[in-house]
Amino acid sequence: MLELKDVHTYYGNIHALKGISLNVQKGEIVTLIGSNGAGKTTTLRTIQGLIHARHGSITLEGEELTKIPAHQVTMRGVSQSPEGRLIFPRMTVLENLEMGAFTRKDKDGIKSDLERVFTVFPRLKERIKQTGGTLSGGEQQMLAIGRALMANPRVLLLDEPSMGLAPILVEQIFNIIGELNKQGTTILLVEQNARMALSIAHRGYVLQTGTIRLQGSATNLQEDDEVRKTYLGEH
Amino acid sequence: MEKYRTAITIGLVGAAITLLFGGWSMILVGTVVGAITGLNYGQHSAKRGALDKAREVLLPALIGNIIMGLGGTLYTFVVVPLTGKSLNYDQPLKLGTGRVPLDSIAVFIIGLAAGIAIGVAVAALIAYLQGLPENVRRVAFIASLIVFLFGLPFFDQVTGLDWIAAIITIQIFILLALGLNIVVGYAGLLDLGYAAFFAIGAYTTGLLSSPQIDIYWNFWLVIWVAAAMAAFAGLVLGAPTLPLRGDYLAIVTLGFGEIIPVVFRNLISVKLVEPFTRICFVGCDPKVDVVRWCIYACQGALDLTAGEKGINPIGRPMIPFTDELLFSSRSYLPWYFLVFGLIVLSIFFIRRLRNSRIGRAWMAIREDELAASQMGIDPVKTKLLAFSMGATFSGFAGAFYGSYISAIFPSVFDFSVSVIILCMVILGGLGNMVGVIIGGILIMGTDRLFLPQIATLLKDFMRHSVLGNVSNPVLKDFLEISVDPNQMRLAIFGLVLVIMMVVRPEGLVPSEERRAELHEGEEEHGDAATEAAA
Repeated sequence: MLELKDVHTYYGNIHALKGISLNVQKGEIVTLIGSNGAGKTTTLRTIQGLIHARHGSITLEGEELTKIPAHQVTMRGVSQSPEGRLIFPRMTVLENLEMGAFTRKDKDGIKSDLERVFTVFPRLKERIKQTGGTLSGGEQQMLAIGRALMANPRVLLLDEPSMGLAPILVEQIFNIIGELNKQGTTILLVEQNARMALSIAHRGYVLQTGTIRLQGSATNLQEDDEVRKTYLGEH
Repeated sequence: MEKYRTAITIGLVGAAITLLFGGWSMILVGTVVGAITGLNYGQHSAKRGALDKAREVLLPALIGNIIMGLGGTLYTFVVVPLTGKSLNYDQPLKLGTGRVPLDSIAVFIIGLAAGIAIGVAVAALIAYLQGLPENVRRVAFIASLIVFLFGLPFFDQVTGLDWIAAIITIQIFILLALGLNIVVGYAGLLDLGYAAFFAIGAYTTGLLSSPQIDIYWNFWLVIWVAAAMAAFAGLVLGAPTLPLRGDYLAIVTLGFGEIIPVVFRNLISVKLVEPFTRICFVGCDPKVDVVRWCIYACQGALDLTAGEKGINPIGRPMIPFTDELLFSSRSYLPWYFLVFGLIVLSIFFIRRLRNSRIGRAWMAIREDELAASQMGIDPVKTKLLAFSMGATFSGFAGAFYGSYISAIFPSVFDFSVSVIILCMVILGGLGNMVGVIIGGILIMGTDRLFLPQIATLLKDFMRHSVLGNVSNPVLKDFLEISVDPNQMRLAIFGLVLVIMMVVRPEGLVPSEERRAELHEGEEEHGDAATEAAA
């Protein structure tokens, strides 16, 4: 469904992605794990069109995404819950969610998706009139994911949903991600918390300094010696 | 006592105004004091019923209005004698064709009695409206506002209060502030050169309906052309600033604001010759230049703007089947209603814009540009639209201004104008139209009504009561020339802004979002307290 072929991305002169190839099939959760600076977030930003790849191609169901600007990528069905959440702090929860559906015109669809977001995150419904900036970290993360869902995406990109959250909340968020996937959402998940990520993903890629070091099914990766040593902290 | 504090404060502000103007102003100020008191007490009243609310507001309104009346009393018995105004009053009541001569005591008594009575009645009415169901209340409220605004110029004319010229200027600046509010308040783009668009609107009007280049288009057409030109200028300015944010954007707009008046100052000898074919498009003299064809103004270089002298006279609006001189420089009423109509139209359009997809896109861009683009908002298009929509309304204001003053000069559109408009928007409350209008009334009212009046009174006071008793010629000179609040107006503005930003950074009538942002800490504190209590 989503396919990256030999993608090279630069920040000025810095060669951040050195030929990334990966794919996400419909209905899958695919996770991208790696240490700081490996290029995980850069990969998502490149897919989203916030930075453009210098070489290589990105396609969504055969449709070229490589050179089009970010707002059009969203219209083609890729939406992201970005790193650091980037919710709109002065808008209410409801307005934030409505912003997620900005490109959509089908009122009924928006309404039913709003209901769905509220069933998945009942907490957001309680805070519907509160402004985004006054939510707690976990609620902001829920809001960011909910907002991304409101675009009714074909592929949902999640950038470090566990960042800065208490362990109990991390577990809750990951349960919800798994639940969303069971309802049919295709997910590309970027995580530092490799253990959690591999526990819910179907497949995974291990990124190291801009290249894909390992790939395979989540179970295989969990058993891989190198992964266990480096990313799962086992000996 | 606690209960009447608000009423007393409002009354004191009213008293400060009637102290300056005396007589008839008490009726006007009394009405406003009554309206504000009614609004305030009606909203905060614990009583639900409309009649109860009205009954409850009577006493505070009476107190506030009596305090207001004290200002007028002081004016009549202290200010008038001290400034040496004659008892034969110079504010005659114009009824019908003749003028009814009234001496100051009569004016005072009528003004005081009517001011307090009308003030209390208005307070009761407004408080009563607060108790009605939402939809009825809105309609009734807008209706009473319209009645007030329609009556205002007639009242002004009948009593000879002579505020109308200042009021029209205030209206022009409100129109400008509403436009700037789109750019700064909604889209969050700091624009320090907004007067440039005002100038473009005014000069478009000047060029298209004056003897300057012999074009005399109809005002009703020109005003749209002026708005379109300003909108186009907004696009032109917007384009290079798109990658910029915050401070950098402010500097570019500042530069634009400086360039435009200079351009208009220097467009006094325009000539456009295509160098290869030697076809002249504008303003060449066949006797001097070697040209093949000349297309326009072939008697020599074209003077587009007449530099510092300015364009004059500029055509005025005409309405079919009415007196051709309806809009003249002597009658203010038609101008008042024209700019009033423009403001109403602008408010209508801006409200629609704000609640549309574009409006939401502006707000998202203001909050977080990166996140906005991830939502599928095109930042380029959205920002350009903000600039050009904001400019459109200043184009209207410029067209009206040019036609109203009938002359335009480049010096009118300098940096201080941009700053004053920005001050109105910030003082009133970024992103809130009611706030912006109130900010405009306060700033321009101070600038055009109160300061000049204080200056006149002070001058009269000096001449009548002080100068005669001062023997030192240096001191006398100083008192005669240098004591002039008009000269201190920018200093006063500065002071007000500093106080405002310290005391109430979200503006007088803030939009919900800004209030939330600026008082975030306090709210969280409150939350924590309630949670702890639970």
